[in-house]
Amino acid sequence: MTEVVPTGAFDAHRPPSRELLDDCVHCGFCLPTCPTYQLTGEEMESPRGRIYLMDLASRGEIELDDAFGAHMDSCLGCLACVTTCPSGVQYDKLIESVRPQVERQIPRAVPDGLFRRLIFALFPYPRRLRLAALGGLAYQRLGLRALLRRLGVLDRLPARLRALEALLPPVTLRALFAKGAQHTPAAGETRLTVGMMPGCAQRVFFGDVNAATVRVLTAEGCDVRVPQDDQCCGALSVHAGREEDGLARARATIAMFERPGIAELDVIVANVAGCGSTLKEYGHLLADDPAWAERAAAFSAKVKDVSELLAGLARRAPRHPVATTVAYHDACHLANAQGVRNAPREVLRAIPGLEIAEVAEAELCCGSAGVYNLVQPEAAEDLGRRKADHLAATTPDVVATANAGCLLQIRRFLDAGIPVVHPIQLVDASIRGVEPVPTSRRRTG
Amino acid sequence: MTALASPSEAGLRVLLPTTAGEVRDALLDTAGSRPRIGVRGTGTADAWATPAGPVDVEVDAEVATTELRGVLRYNPADMTMAVRAGTPLAEVQEEVGRHGQRVAFDPARAALGATVGGLLATADGGPARHAQGTLRDLVIGVTVVLGDGTVARSGGHVIKNVAGYDLAKLFSGSFGTLGVVAEVVLRLHPLPRASATVAVPVEPAQAHDVGDRIVGAGLEPSALELCDDRLLVRFDGTPEGVARRAKAVAAAVERPVQEAADTDWATVAATALGEPGDTVLRLGTLPSAGPGTLAALPTAGLDTALSSTVMSGVHTLRLRGGSPAAHAEVLRAAHAAVGPACTVLRRDGLPADAPAWGPPPRSVAVLRAVKQRFDPTGRFPAARLAPWLDPEGVRA
Amino acid sequence: MLSQLRSALVDAVGVDGVLDEPSALRSYECDGLTGYRVTPAYVVLPRTAAAVAAAVTACARHGVPFVARGAGTGLSGGALPVADGVVISLQRLRRIVEIDPVNRRAVVEPGVTNLDITKAVAPHGLYFAPDPSSQQVCTIGGNVAENSGGAHCLKYGFTVHHVHSVDVVLPDGTPTTLGGESELAEGPDLLGAFIGSEGTLGVVTSVTVKLLPRPAAVQTLVADFDSVEAAGATVTAIIGAGIVPAAVEMMDTLAIEAVEAAVEAGYTKGVAAALIVELDGPAEEVATQLAEVETLCRDHGTTAVTRTADPAERARIWKGRKAAFAAVGRISPNYFVQDGVVPRTRLTEALTRIGELADEAGLRVANVFHAGDGNLHPLVLYNEAAGEHDRAEHLSSSIAELCVDLGGSLSGEHGIGTDKACSMTRQYGQDDLDTMKRLRAAYDPAGVCNPGKLFPTPRLCGERPGPYHPHPLESAGLIERM
Repeated sequence: MTEVVPTGAFDAHRPPSRELLDDCVHCGFCLPTCPTYQLTGEEMESPRGRIYLMDLASRGEIELDDAFGAHMDSCLGCLACVTTCPSGVQYDKLIESVRPQVERQIPRAVPDGLFRRLIFALFPYPRRLRLAALGGLAYQRLGLRALLRRLGVLDRLPARLRALEALLPPVTLRALFAKGAQHTPAAGETRLTVGMMPGCAQRVFFGDVNAATVRVLTAEGCDVRVPQDDQCCGALSVHAGREEDGLARARATIAMFERPGIAELDVIVANVAGCGSTLKEYGHLLADDPAWAERAAAFSAKVKDVSELLAGLARRAPRHPVATTVAYHDACHLANAQGVRNAPREVLRAIPGLEIAEVAEAELCCGSAGVYNLVQPEAAEDLGRRKADHLAATTPDVVATANAGCLLQIRRFLDAGIPVVHPIQLVDASIRGVEPVPTSRRRTG
Repeated sequence: MTALASPSEAGLRVLLPTTAGEVRDALLDTAGSRPRIGVRGTGTADAWATPAGPVDVEVDAEVATTELRGVLRYNPADMTMAVRAGTPLAEVQEEVGRHGQRVAFDPARAALGATVGGLLATADGGPARHAQGTLRDLVIGVTVVLGDGTVARSGGHVIKNVAGYDLAKLFSGSFGTLGVVAEVVLRLHPLPRASATVAVPVEPAQAHDVGDRIVGAGLEPSALELCDDRLLVRFDGTPEGVARRAKAVAAAVERPVQEAADTDWATVAATALGEPGDTVLRLGTLPSAGPGTLAALPTAGLDTALSSTVMSGVHTLRLRGGSPAAHAEVLRAAHAAVGPACTVLRRDGLPADAPAWGPPPRSVAVLRAVKQRFDPTGRFPAARLAPWLDPEGVRA
Repeated sequence: MLSQLRSALVDAVGVDGVLDEPSALRSYECDGLTGYRVTPAYVVLPRTAAAVAAAVTACARHGVPFVARGAGTGLSGGALPVADGVVISLQRLRRIVEIDPVNRRAVVEPGVTNLDITKAVAPHGLYFAPDPSSQQVCTIGGNVAENSGGAHCLKYGFTVHHVHSVDVVLPDGTPTTLGGESELAEGPDLLGAFIGSEGTLGVVTSVTVKLLPRPAAVQTLVADFDSVEAAGATVTAIIGAGIVPAAVEMMDTLAIEAVEAAVEAGYTKGVAAALIVELDGPAEEVATQLAEVETLCRDHGTTAVTRTADPAERARIWKGRKAAFAAVGRISPNYFVQDGVVPRTRLTEALTRIGELADEAGLRVANVFHAGDGNLHPLVLYNEAAGEHDRAEHLSSSIAELCVDLGGSLSGEHGIGTDKACSMTRQYGQDDLDTMKRLRAAYDPAGVCNPGKLFPTPRLCGERPGPYHPHPLESAGLIERM
């Protein structure tokens, strides 16, 4: 029976750990890497400041009030601070333990609460998302969007609805309803048996990325299994502090992969940085649940981002040249949360004729951050524009990033002439010997 | 304390303390009888910033630092030395030179016997300013004596020291208006193993560009001094290194390069010292603006000599011949061009009423507040800083 | 009265520039030195120099003390708020106003980080030489306040050697400029005395910095030694040979352990002392000097020498050294970092004595320091939860005072601030301190500008100089002997 430790203003359910809080020595090295600190200059909007507030709350010296909640909500969860911290503070674990406390203890204003409920009633459900996207398609194609823009209605929408509206990516009807196969055998001898999460927003809006991923994996000798369930991995919920929700999805995801048999799978591959980082965390998230702890740990141990997997495999399929300059954007949940930076670059460099451009302020988040760009649209817009400007400044032929959220966010703010793709699409094009992006969509001039 | 010198012809009492304690005693002893005190070293800067005349005898007694000499502490391994302020810099150089060290500071007055305290109080400088700055950058500790006899130390004997305010900086350029500098602790540098100077003939207008190329080529000269129409470039270091860097100058500047003459550095010093009858001005500009500012001065018809620490934008201009009015015109134009950044080092050729200083720096109100706090009873007449400290002449 | 101040502050900096929520105010209650915490009444974040002046004026008019704050990374509690006072954060004045590559200078706002200056001027082949270990986060305004140095100050000097002028808001709200457009002195060097005055004489709103061209060649060498004495003797020999390295740093076993745990910089774990020597300058000179330095290391029994000119490797070596303080957080729950200076020739003696003091106190001390100039950074490791705080604080100030006793100084870089104010009487006499206070009185007769810092107040420091906890009235500037 563990000793009861006072938790101050936090409730007793998984409060931030005193040990983790004590790791912070208040040196401030995290400040320059924090996007919200860069935007506001306020101490409470920095990792150091947030930890300080957590510490005060943990000691019962401050309440969990609206101000506290606001400072936690405004954190993007980009984890750039974790990468920089010389003391090894596990801010990721801290913010993840505090967000659920915020959800449980700090009542949200009605519009805020409703909006969040809308998001979480929609995004983790591919079927509903598909319907909404259909509606969005109609809205775009039937000229409603153009009409509303001309009438100035769009500008008068509250920022959050404007953000929702603006993030709608262009999709085709066919892409919306394309379905991937459940099982695709390897081309040639099977080297690995691989399971893949189709994702939620990913399968609805980026089905072509999933298709490209499967093609590349099979070309490289992987036998690919893609469960067809409409199952969300729970990343959005976990990152937003909706703990029960997130854990339930984690269990369901693990169970789903136990059907084809986890033991048969050598690797569980993710091609969405946000999802991949949560899948790798299942072991930690379910550590307290005796029925799931071992299974979750076993599951997480097999998770790899597709770039990690490819970088670790000796290349089998020959790569055809793709003469393209790529501005590669490190998704925070790949670079910071998973520590994967070199693998995607290695994979891209293996494509002859492809050049990777160095992007200024590369470590700065693009502002997508899960549902951040929907719930904190102003800050997200500042960051999105900044990121888009830096990407465009490298005059690339194409921008590549390994996360659905980043793809949507960057596309919204980037010059329309520059296509935004997932790196796997470049690899796929190289293997198939085709143009990665149809010439008609390329920037002219 | 040695016996006081007999009063001079003007009734001036000269005090000759030999230690900081004796400086304090001298000031306390004269507080009632001879309140107004002037400070003087070996007199090599007597001509500096001399006020416009006619000048009354504004002091009752003079603290002469000529007996306030000697090394207080010197550990060659630490590369710091504490000396009494009346010690001539040349003596210090000789002493530390015996241990392969030097004070990286080469003002022209040093050869005439200028004291360390006097050089600090006048903020003098030489060609070494290019790489090492001036005495202000080399003093790591100071002991001063204020008008009420307070003896105060700041800094210490170590190069790195941020404990407390740095009073040495305050006294640098103070011209004896805040108190008496009694002791100074200096940071030392090793004597270079080898040294070489080359000369690049240039038009003064091109001096900055040419200097820029040498610096930009990474050759790290220890001095880059324009002497009339030749840019002197000095290198310190190892024998091979110095030789190779000197050779590299020609390629860097894309011009012919000559060996410097022994007399070149002497000429630089002579320009700063001047001769009886000369006017010598020192101006400060943005380095790139130096050539233009100097060219615009109305020096036509005058015999001029110029030395510039080119990359620092500090220029020493000697005027000779012509009329006092012509000299005054140049001074007026200098004040108009550089405001407070003009020091008069010698005023023989100027009319008596030419002002020693141009418009004051923006922070002059702070300066006056500092003066008021450090010398509330006005024991150290504003004298050579009077135009800035005491423009109304309230407290002589 | 406080509400009048609040509306004056809102007028000065705008309503989004005034923080008064409890959680906000608590967030500003300490800087990098967490041992001292005081909650201010307000925090303001002006965006322009004019707003800074207006904020200071508002404080001055209401007789309310204020403290300027940069990134809050200071290690002496210089940005510790005054109880019921105002904190003026300069973090929203972050523009690089002008870069003049021809004259090798730049004009920047005080909230710009030290490293960002170098990054901004790098395209011109220039850099800003003072490089404190916190340079990626500390601000130039803070560097001016503390006269910051850094590893390369042995050759290149400190902030005071690299600033042409500063715009300052005086404690009564009047703006002025210290230093001129040129390098020629314009009377007494007010700028030189202001730099390092720890925010007690005014608030900086603009800094014109001096830039240097990148040296032609750089070589970095790391040498392992079996003892600190051997490493120290090597340093003496190097300096004695007339070489002026750009930097000479040393780390002991504990420090290396922490660094390697944090960043894996490639130092040899378990070795008694690692010496880092960096030489820079013209290629010809560097090559010769490097060979000499290596020989001297071998002469003094180095067990391993690596040398590199590769930028990535050099970056790794320096990353390790610069992360040392924070890295210590991995081998100890808490620590104090000291900043004493001793004459270089007494370095070994100082380290031996520190070891003895540490043993007596039953605590560990890791040592990281600028061996070239005798500036020590002993890191006193302790566990707050085990009740070791007071013992550690006492050890920490004993070390600082030891440095004074050995002929050195309480602080080489971090400043006196709150932390060492009570120890000032160990280094200076009452007349010395009173004279310094005349300077402060000239700038701040009302005593509202960062009061309670730098100078001891015997009444509150007690008879024995020790850890200093400001009394609220004293912090408010209402009682102090000036």
